[in-house]
Amino acid sequence: MNFKHKFVFLMPGLLVLLGILIFPIIFTVRLSFSGWDSFNPGLDFIGIENYIRLFTDDKRFWESFLRLGFLSITTVFLQYIIGFGLALLVWKEIKFKRFFRVLFLIPMMTTPVIMTVIWRTFFHESLGPVNDFFSLFGMAPPWLSHEVLALVTVMIVEVWQWTPFMFLLMLAGLLSLPKEPFLAAAIDGASSIRKFIYVTFPLMAPISIGAIIIRLIEASKIMDTIFVLTSGGPGTSTETSSFYIFIKGLREFQIGYSATLSFTYLIIMIISLTFIAKFLTKIFMKGDAE
Amino acid sequence: MAKIEFKNVGHCYDVSAENKVYALNPFSLTWEDGGRYALLGPSGCGKTTMLNIMSGLITPSDGNVYFDENDITNVITEERNIAQVFQFPVIYNTMTVFDNLAFPLRCRKFDEDKIKTKVHEVAELLNLTEFLNKLTKKLTADQKQLISLGRGLVREDVAAVLMDEPLTVIDPDLKFKLRRKLKEINAKYKTTLIYVTHDQNEAMTFADNIIVMNEGNVVQIGTPKELFEKPKTTFVGYFIGSPAMNIYPCDAVSDDEVSIGGLKLKVNTKLPDSQKSNLKLGIRSEYINVVNKKSENTVEANINLVEDFGNYKLISATNDNIQIKVKVKRESVIPEDKILLEIPPEHCCIYNNEELVE
Repeated sequence: MNFKHKFVFLMPGLLVLLGILIFPIIFTVRLSFSGWDSFNPGLDFIGIENYIRLFTDDKRFWESFLRLGFLSITTVFLQYIIGFGLALLVWKEIKFKRFFRVLFLIPMMTTPVIMTVIWRTFFHESLGPVNDFFSLFGMAPPWLSHEVLALVTVMIVEVWQWTPFMFLLMLAGLLSLPKEPFLAAAIDGASSIRKFIYVTFPLMAPISIGAIIIRLIEASKIMDTIFVLTSGGPGTSTETSSFYIFIKGLREFQIGYSATLSFTYLIIMIISLTFIAKFLTKIFMKGDAE
Repeated sequence: MAKIEFKNVGHCYDVSAENKVYALNPFSLTWEDGGRYALLGPSGCGKTTMLNIMSGLITPSDGNVYFDENDITNVITEERNIAQVFQFPVIYNTMTVFDNLAFPLRCRKFDEDKIKTKVHEVAELLNLTEFLNKLTKKLTADQKQLISLGRGLVREDVAAVLMDEPLTVIDPDLKFKLRRKLKEINAKYKTTLIYVTHDQNEAMTFADNIIVMNEGNVVQIGTPKELFEKPKTTFVGYFIGSPAMNIYPCDAVSDDEVSIGGLKLKVNTKLPDSQKSNLKLGIRSEYINVVNKKSENTVEANINLVEDFGNYKLISATNDNIQIKVKVKRESVIPEDKILLEIPPEHCCIYNNEELVE
């Protein structure tokens, strides 16, 4: 039998895939071996020079990467706990359930950049309402100009902005759970805490893993909040990988080197997310492991 | 263990509606302590509603529920001492079999020694001892269902073990074994077992007493034999037995004779004058005999179809427009086209307005 014609039917799809997915990656890889910058624009070949520079002489990238790791893991963890908690609150029959469900989703519906501008105003050291409050106690924390506090501010804004997304996923998960395990636990005489530990939490494990992974991927791309809120400062204390790559590529026009950074970042992210997914499966799904 | 009593219990899911529709029409019934009961009926007949009222998952809109003379209508599930096994096994996945079985006792703060003894006792009864330290995830569906059941049995004070179609997910062979196990448990612990099913074979082989329900009503309560021989309504006749009872509209000819079309049949029921209209005659296909000689109550019929079911044959025959189904032994020799059938008067049930004339 002749199956050659099947390629004709597959070709359009494959070409589109190649064009929009594979080509940009291959181009980035090729770019990372070039010294393309504002002085020498063009796709020349300089071997692995960029990679040598990245691994031996670029502390700032690795610092920004560690900072990103810390930032995304802690914010996603907080988002998960708060989102799950809120979802549990409006899951059961309570008054004004619909109102609360919509209320909790509002931050997600706003535009991140604009909301960050508003947050920046909130945290403005001399004019913002946050310090109006703290001044009552004779304090004026430098929210945006202190290394640690600036990071905390970024985290607060991130958690505020993205907890609703977690809330939405967790609520959808809770609403889809079967009734019987809860009835059985009630019959067994389990308290609310036991019900949560042995019924709700294990049943929510697959959804939790999915939600956390999605948020981790999203959180790693953090860019707009940092750009508007602190621009990576003070110094480089809130700079994350994507922001650093942006600076190298679009501020300093080191196109070749920023391609090297992007590609390395992609590889590290794939590896670390795989490990994180495995780790999450292990802790969330005790019974399923092995 | 306890005697469970329903007094005028009924349930309507929407009490505020103008025309109340009852999922379960008010009725009274007593479940004796240590009995084995089956609730049998088609889907949507109110079986599960009744079971949930008993376990406290639903508070009935009408009437009261008593456990040993105590009114528990408004007592919450946790305080009712009921065990329930659901259609699909409900187990705690993150725990071992031992912890699963111990869970109801731990929730009630029993001391660990007592828990250990009791769990081992129940595990032995259910043949789960070798799995005690395994995670429940790895077990088969029937083992998981045994754990669900075991969680009910570890508590000595359960008023009743309620089962909502618990064997649906289990293979036929294991179903048989589990049913036997349930009977053993009932004999040993004298636990009241209440079993919901829509499978009549399951109900017949499991229970001493079967409660047949239809459209929110309890239609008949009786032993398997009573339901088979004297179905109280035509619905029970149709629903119990395979194939369903042969039921024909008929007219009274005299006090003990009816006619179906032109066919006259003697019956053993004395028909009072008040119940001589709107009659039906029912006869089980098992009780119709194939005979060689014409006599009283014999019918000549044309054979349409003979089906071989392995352990018996089912003959479908017609006389005029009357369809008759007859169950015969597998080895019986069946004539090609015409057959002579005897309808024994003692097995004929007469129904007036769909209810048995006794």
